[in-house]
Amino acid sequence: MRQTPGQTPQPPAAPAAAAQGQPPAAAKPQRPPAPSVPPEFDALPIWTMEPAKLIAMVKDPKSTVFQKAIACKKLAFTGGKDAVQPMAALLDHPQLSCYARFGLEPNPDPMVDDVLRAALGKLTGKLQVGVINTIGVRKDAKAMPALAKLINSSDPEIAGAAAASIGQIGGLQAAKVLQGALGSTNPPVFPVVARASLLCAEGLMAANKARAIEFYTQLSGASMPGPVRLAALRVLNAESPAPPGAKAYPPPTGEAAENDRSGFLGRRQ
Amino acid sequence: MAEEKQPVTRRGFGKAIAQAGAAAAAPVVLASNAAGQIASPGAGQSGPVLVGNYAMVDNIRIGGIGIRGRGMADLRMLLGDERVRFVGIADVRESAREMVKSAVDKHYGTNDCVMYRDPSEILARKDIDALLIATSDRWHGPMAMWAAQSGKDMFIEKPGAMSITESYAMADNVKRYGVVYQSGAQRLNQFAFEFAVGLARSGKLGRLLTVHADTAIGLGSVDRGGHGWWPADAEPPDPLVFDWDKWLGPCLWRPFNTQYADRGRGEFWDFHAGLLEWASHTVATAQWAAGMENTQPVEYEPEGGEFRGDGLIGRYNINCRYANGVRLVLRNHSWSLLGSCSNRFEGTEGWVETGDSGRIEVSDNLKSLVPRRTGKRFDPTYAHIQEFLNCVRSRRPPRANAEVTCATHVTSHAAWICAQLNRKVTWDPAKRMFINDEEANRMRSRAFREPWRMEAFATNM
Repeated sequence: MRQTPGQTPQPPAAPAAAAQGQPPAAAKPQRPPAPSVPPEFDALPIWTMEPAKLIAMVKDPKSTVFQKAIACKKLAFTGGKDAVQPMAALLDHPQLSCYARFGLEPNPDPMVDDVLRAALGKLTGKLQVGVINTIGVRKDAKAMPALAKLINSSDPEIAGAAAASIGQIGGLQAAKVLQGALGSTNPPVFPVVARASLLCAEGLMAANKARAIEFYTQLSGASMPGPVRLAALRVLNAESPAPPGAKAYPPPTGEAAENDRSGFLGRRQ
Repeated sequence: MAEEKQPVTRRGFGKAIAQAGAAAAAPVVLASNAAGQIASPGAGQSGPVLVGNYAMVDNIRIGGIGIRGRGMADLRMLLGDERVRFVGIADVRESAREMVKSAVDKHYGTNDCVMYRDPSEILARKDIDALLIATSDRWHGPMAMWAAQSGKDMFIEKPGAMSITESYAMADNVKRYGVVYQSGAQRLNQFAFEFAVGLARSGKLGRLLTVHADTAIGLGSVDRGGHGWWPADAEPPDPLVFDWDKWLGPCLWRPFNTQYADRGRGEFWDFHAGLLEWASHTVATAQWAAGMENTQPVEYEPEGGEFRGDGLIGRYNINCRYANGVRLVLRNHSWSLLGSCSNRFEGTEGWVETGDSGRIEVSDNLKSLVPRRTGKRFDPTYAHIQEFLNCVRSRRPPRANAEVTCATHVTSHAAWICAQLNRKVTWDPAKRMFINDEEANRMRSRAFREPWRMEAFATNM
């Protein structure tokens, strides 16, 4: 029998205890096998269906939650434009919303962005957070106005999700929104806004380096979360030394400095 | 820096969570303002000198997330290193939390190991330098990203990501936040594999032709569970004892069944990364041997096996080709009994093959090079963790760093997608996408269940 990865091969077993005059160890109890998947939860018959049948299954009110779930899952890979609306209708379903987003998120049809934007205003709580997250993954710039409002939500989960998605969408408009939020949000959303800003600055580097450096400089400030500040400083250090006029340590003083002739301590000879 | 939190009891959890309110319940990690800031001890002040997020003295404070079987082996190695102080454990399972606390407190002779139900609490601790993350597979990628965003180094079990997208997201975050990442691909620090890789990289095999990687098992999605579910248990668990929602994490919702947590979840597509169960190890060594540790093959083609509708089962090969023409063969059969996770490297002037047995087989012309240590089995975990701890101090990337892990995983996921589609696919490593293959490209990612998310990509993928 093959070993499970991660396990260390064991050396051959030691001589049997009985042979050394000791009582044999108790046999290790065998775990019963894991249960089988019952027929009503067997996904393979659904998985092998053509998209048209999968869409019909999603639409059919008689379909079970399991059937709709697996149909959405497979439509993630094979669904076209005609699969978008049927799955969008499940975005408010407590169990199936994640399956609907799973099906919609990788679908390249622009209609997906339309239905997600439309759902934003109709959903609340975690289901709204999920849609915000998917909008961020799809980098839908048309959602920016709605997200810019949600970043000020009193619900920190929604505000944080909006900030993160704005950071992923990126661009100058996103930078403006995030910089505004950096000055107005409080914990627990502030660190999320800072991380989103870092992402946004990174995205700006190729198209608008000067603006990106300006953003990174803001993120290197002492008020920023430590990991974000250090990340921004590493980028700035890689780009260039500190600009003239930046705070620097004064030349050393004292006897050691006075006697130094190497210039190593900062005194020119 | 004394930790102010008291050990958390089952009863205290509910209270603590209620007091913490929305901030504690939020899924995002709250990075601390102070963590990672530069500090030096003042006059007369003792204690570690903190630079960045790590201790420059031999006092690396480590926390754990999701430690059970394999994680306990890692933990034992950490506890055996005098540089390490293990200070806390987060787990959604009460029994696992208590098991780790018991082991740690027994080792130190204290009662100091703090337990957390929510990983975000341990990520928010300012005094922790690094994390041991040994959760189930689906949590490795998100936890790695959150650890990076919290400025913490990490030793994290494999596989490191459940999809191609997640692999890149993990590596991008590690790079962005400048933390040290070592995946549990411990064979990269195992003598027999090092020797075999050395033969290939030094040119002793001549012009390299083919590297082979053992995948051993059938393809995950076509294992018994596939995309199916087990029926719901009659009673949901007490979240203070077992938090099912957090255990499920970014995976798609399914009804609670206690069997998932105990055994058998590896049979379900949602809970495993298919080929990566072994390819996380064997592709890593193969790509290292080929000098391809930071890229992927450009072609993948299935051979053999039986296509069941959702992937290949039985004896199969996935034949891959790098841009320079070198071949990578993933196969689950025809190995020469050298142990699990085997590799074979073939060149124009010789071949070498090894596995977990520690034995090394070579072509006749290379036999004089095989050292006497051949054939001895030993656990490389210690060396692998030692390398991680050394890198925490040196800030150099270890062998199983995030970029190497990402490249290994993208190769393996691409091969798995090839097997699920049962047809040839072509990959562009620079663009991070399959060429002219929308279905394959859609399979690069798995959308996270709400409210979980990746804060990952600055540009399009």
